[in-house]
Amino acid sequence: MSDLKSEQNKAPGSVLGWLDARYPLISTWNEHVGEYYAPKNFNFWYFFGSLALLVLVNQFVTGIWLTMSYKPSAAEAFNSVEYIMRDVEWGWLIRYMHSTGASAFFIVIYLHMTRGLLYGSYKQPRELVWIIGMLLFLVLMAEAFMGYLLPWGQMSYWGAQVIISLFGAIPFVGPDLALWVRGDFIISDATLNRFFALHVIALPLVLLILVFMHIVALHKVGSNNPDGVEIKKFKNAQGLPIDGIPFHPYYSVKDSMGAVFFAIPFALIVFYWPEGGGFFIEPPNFEPANPLKTPEHIAPVWYFTPFYAILRAVPDKFLGVVAMGGAIMVLFAMPWLDRCKVKSIRYRGASFKILLTVFLISFVVLGYLGTQPATPELTKLAQIFTALYFMFFLVLPFTSVNEKTKPVPERVS
Amino acid sequence: MKKLLWILNIAFLLVAGNVQAAGGHGIELEAANNNLRDQDSLQRGAILFSNYCMACHSAKYMRYNRIGRDIGWSDEEVVQKMAHGLNKVVDNVETRMVPGVAMDVLGTEPPDLSLMARLKGTDYIYSFLKGYYQNEKGAWDNHLLAGTSMPNVLEGIQRHATPEDYDQSVRDLANFLEYVGEPAKLDRLDLGWKVIAFLLVLLLLSYLLKREYWRDVKH
Amino acid sequence: MSIEQENKTEVNLQRRKILTGATGVVGAAGATFLAVPFVSSWQPSEKAKAAGAPVNADISQMQPGQMLTVAWRGKPVWIVRRTPDMLKTLPTLDGQLRDPESAESIQPSYCQNELRAVKDEYLVVVGVCTHLGCAPLYRPAIGSPDVGTDWQGGFFCPCHGSRFDLAGRVFQSVPAPTNLEIPPYHFVSEQEIRIGEDPKEGGTA
Repeated sequence: MSDLKSEQNKAPGSVLGWLDARYPLISTWNEHVGEYYAPKNFNFWYFFGSLALLVLVNQFVTGIWLTMSYKPSAAEAFNSVEYIMRDVEWGWLIRYMHSTGASAFFIVIYLHMTRGLLYGSYKQPRELVWIIGMLLFLVLMAEAFMGYLLPWGQMSYWGAQVIISLFGAIPFVGPDLALWVRGDFIISDATLNRFFALHVIALPLVLLILVFMHIVALHKVGSNNPDGVEIKKFKNAQGLPIDGIPFHPYYSVKDSMGAVFFAIPFALIVFYWPEGGGFFIEPPNFEPANPLKTPEHIAPVWYFTPFYAILRAVPDKFLGVVAMGGAIMVLFAMPWLDRCKVKSIRYRGASFKILLTVFLISFVVLGYLGTQPATPELTKLAQIFTALYFMFFLVLPFTSVNEKTKPVPERVS
Repeated sequence: MKKLLWILNIAFLLVAGNVQAAGGHGIELEAANNNLRDQDSLQRGAILFSNYCMACHSAKYMRYNRIGRDIGWSDEEVVQKMAHGLNKVVDNVETRMVPGVAMDVLGTEPPDLSLMARLKGTDYIYSFLKGYYQNEKGAWDNHLLAGTSMPNVLEGIQRHATPEDYDQSVRDLANFLEYVGEPAKLDRLDLGWKVIAFLLVLLLLSYLLKREYWRDVKH
Repeated sequence: MSIEQENKTEVNLQRRKILTGATGVVGAAGATFLAVPFVSSWQPSEKAKAAGAPVNADISQMQPGQMLTVAWRGKPVWIVRRTPDMLKTLPTLDGQLRDPESAESIQPSYCQNELRAVKDEYLVVVGVCTHLGCAPLYRPAIGSPDVGTDWQGGFFCPCHGSRFDLAGRVFQSVPAPTNLEIPPYHFVSEQEIRIGEDPKEGGTA
């Protein structure tokens, strides 16, 4: 853990010493890695933060390589993707790593967010960590949405068509706004080009900055843990948290193991199931975009379907958009909607456990419904689960005030 | 660790269940039972494709030399067998139809077949090609795609070959189209297990390493 | 305190070192494997290779002394039908050349001969100066005004003044270091040259 430090002490004239005199190398390392004390009781839910970072790196590297052969124009986009799949050496692997990475990103992020809800990681003093995380989620959705247009297949085209039309539902400015986003009267070359620019340059930059802030904010307040107790309360003679362990080497070796463990199902999908049964790469996307012919059944990619189901469940176009936006935005308010002092679900009352379970089930069911055609029966079902989804946020502020909680231990168990 | 496995397992089952639910075409598809590793079948399929499909359809994302290399033909053989020696080996597999003619004759543009197997599935292609029947008026129609403008091009084989040979021909053609849909597929399948075997070794090592370090941590 | 400092001495440091090393080595090997696809994806793609495929040149209409230019892999390839006089002059230039035997130059083994050709009459050469990649000019006439009165015919590079004879061999005291490159080629028939492909074993060289 303090290899660097001792090295510097040993050899003040070393290269490292020279660098450290001009750049806060060792202090940064120590603050965020070598002497960042994390609770010792992290369980498997705590792998997903570092895994999200791993997937981000995967998307950056494979994305940069795809950009080397991809052509952002309506005439060439589809061809260039097939060019990557067939003519570029190993292009197929790089492309599948990127397409699988997109879905993996959302699997990891949804589990990461679930962890936050389970253990109250959004609560005081970590409100800002949660809010920056939510911003990351929003930007990630925009990033994924724009990326999905680039292969210029039928699903890319009509998916984007439907989502951009949502802007048209906003009163007064809607139609002009949709026109402005597209830069044309239909989704066209102009739309593809600007989405490409945002997907490969602007949004990745924003993601990078937000990830940085997310980690800085976290390290300022310290990590939460499955018990939801603050390890900073009990310190030893050196002023170090008794229940904390330095991130390096303990969590760096543990997270490395998690990364390898994660890489196995990832590789299984890349090599043996890249279409993910039509959820990771949708079959209609093997047909070039055709503005004159809508595919029989349009569904957004699976990671948007919970929100898409909410949109369809509301019988009014504008209110549907409001409900969909609200379903995401309301999560920002979690630190204030939940008024219970106890953080971890381990010590919380039955009301919270029931509410959260119903909420998580609703999310999954809505996700499933969003992939299905909107029959009257399924729409009814979607309405019920949309109501249950929002119920969580409506009821929580009232039940959480006088929740019958269990006694919270002083220290981590 | 066990919990994690358990959850991943459940998630996998859920997704798999979803796929089953989402897969239905309404009409039962007949399984093609093709084998991408059967090079003889792919070679027969390529010749059938050239003789029966390329009059109208292209497979424009494929090049002759790639096909030859992948299904076991030399450069000379592939252009002889698929293009009667009239194309260069580096040419893309284009249709022999003069541009514009299709619209006049068939009223539609025959689609490129490079990705048809990925768009519709190999079984669909097999079932579609076998799905032709003569209605009461004696005209050809298709069970899978009623009113299709594509004629029953394999009628000759259907009439003159044994049913088994006919099935095999359709299977060969479907097999070839599956290959054309993703020429790197066998590379992918052959590499995958090696990558995973490597990852398992690395997992074991990183687990031992983690356990070794975590001896320090008292719970 | 969770980390028992006094315990440190009991920890098997040897085992820890070995495991760290083993995981590091295997992990680094994995990273190297992973880098392979990314590095090799920069190789010329199948499309580029298709564009770089051999090209055929029809030489049936060529007059003695005439030069024909064909594009191969995006580079000019010159075919010169040399006259008997030109062929006679070539050996006499050896003393003025930097690499008369083409020992330092790039050509297929079947063209590493005095006239640097498969058939004496036809020179096939890549029209790119070996100095900095300019395209030299064809100056077949003896005593060409822009080259010099003692000029015996050949190629002259306008960029930096490099000179080559009619076998593409470089003269002394010019910037170009080696003779012009000869591409692989063979005669498909009396009238046709195929550039970019070595002759078949046992075929006409």
